[in-house]
Amino acid sequence: MSGMKAWLLPMAAIPFLLLLGYGLTRDTFVLPSPLEGRPAPDFRLATMSGDSLGLDDLRGRVVVLNFWASWCVPCRVEHPALLQAHNTYDPDEAVVVGVVYQDSKGNAQRFLDRFGGGWTSVLDPGTRVAIDFGVYGVPETFFIGRDGSIARKHIGPVNWELVKSTVDSLLALPAGTEETVTAVDVGESPHPATTESVD
Amino acid sequence: MTALALVLACGPALLAAQETPGAVGAAEAEGAAGAPVSELSEAELDALTAEVAAELRCPVCRNQAVIESSAELSREMQATIRTKLAAGESPAEVRAYFVSRYGEWILLKPTARGVSLAVYALPALVLLLGGAFLLARIRGWARSGSVEGAHPLEGVSDEDQRWLDDAIRRP
Repeated sequence: MSGMKAWLLPMAAIPFLLLLGYGLTRDTFVLPSPLEGRPAPDFRLATMSGDSLGLDDLRGRVVVLNFWASWCVPCRVEHPALLQAHNTYDPDEAVVVGVVYQDSKGNAQRFLDRFGGGWTSVLDPGTRVAIDFGVYGVPETFFIGRDGSIARKHIGPVNWELVKSTVDSLLALPAGTEETVTAVDVGESPHPATTESVD
Repeated sequence: MTALALVLACGPALLAAQETPGAVGAAEAEGAAGAPVSELSEAELDALTAEVAAELRCPVCRNQAVIESSAELSREMQATIRTKLAAGESPAEVRAYFVSRYGEWILLKPTARGVSLAVYALPALVLLLGGAFLLARIRGWARSGSVEGAHPLEGVSDEDQRWLDDAIRRP
């Protein structure tokens, strides 16, 4: 066999192997959101207490928009972090807003009665708002700056360090700035729950 | 538990589908004065919805199309598709909407850009290069396998060798 043909087979394989190797480094459950840096989609939904809440009402404040469900185990895990955020920040500066995902009002209320939480949660019938935000499972948390744009989307449960560093950075920005915030990565977990578990 | 839940969700549907009109806000036109409304019949709308839903990936059961999946999110996405088509949006606009919210991966056939380009192009390239390699190899075998190039057998008389050569050469 001539010398020229000897390298032809390895040459064909190398780019393929590189692609496969690159693929192995990807976490297929955590997918980047095209909404980071863009204005948050507006919505107006009924709250658990029957009032209505629109994202517009909160313009000028940092919003921690948390999609959650009572059947979602990691949502219970992250709940204390949201509780701490709610108790730490002045509601005129930064608020936590929950969006109930594919759950009944009764179940959601029972969850809040049991685990506490004084912030507003809205109901999302038909999963419309979740789809508008590109949500594909819970929990997912969007950090929205004072200018109304999505600074960061976090997939999976948040922890207090992540919430604190992100919210503090957003509070430090003057309203009207559209910078994306790269908060410190502290213990990101893979996406836990994507559908109703048999509870 | 999550794995079991996924299997249950992505398998045959047991729950009835919900049909709730969109309540997102100002974004959706629902026959408001001056807003475009589709002229398609209900049956045509259903068919077009199925078409678009067949091109989108279920975010829960990632290897299934939205039309195939019985996950609740997929059913809601189908309802969203139908609402948007009924409001006069084109299939391309509906696809663009989902890409703008979820990303390119929501399409079962992502556009050939960046890494996706490599995924589309590389198999073809490998096939070509592999094919060229094989061709060269086979030609080499054909040459070295000819009777003239074969090593002579030990301890065989010339007459037997000639008989052997004839037998091999005969088609």
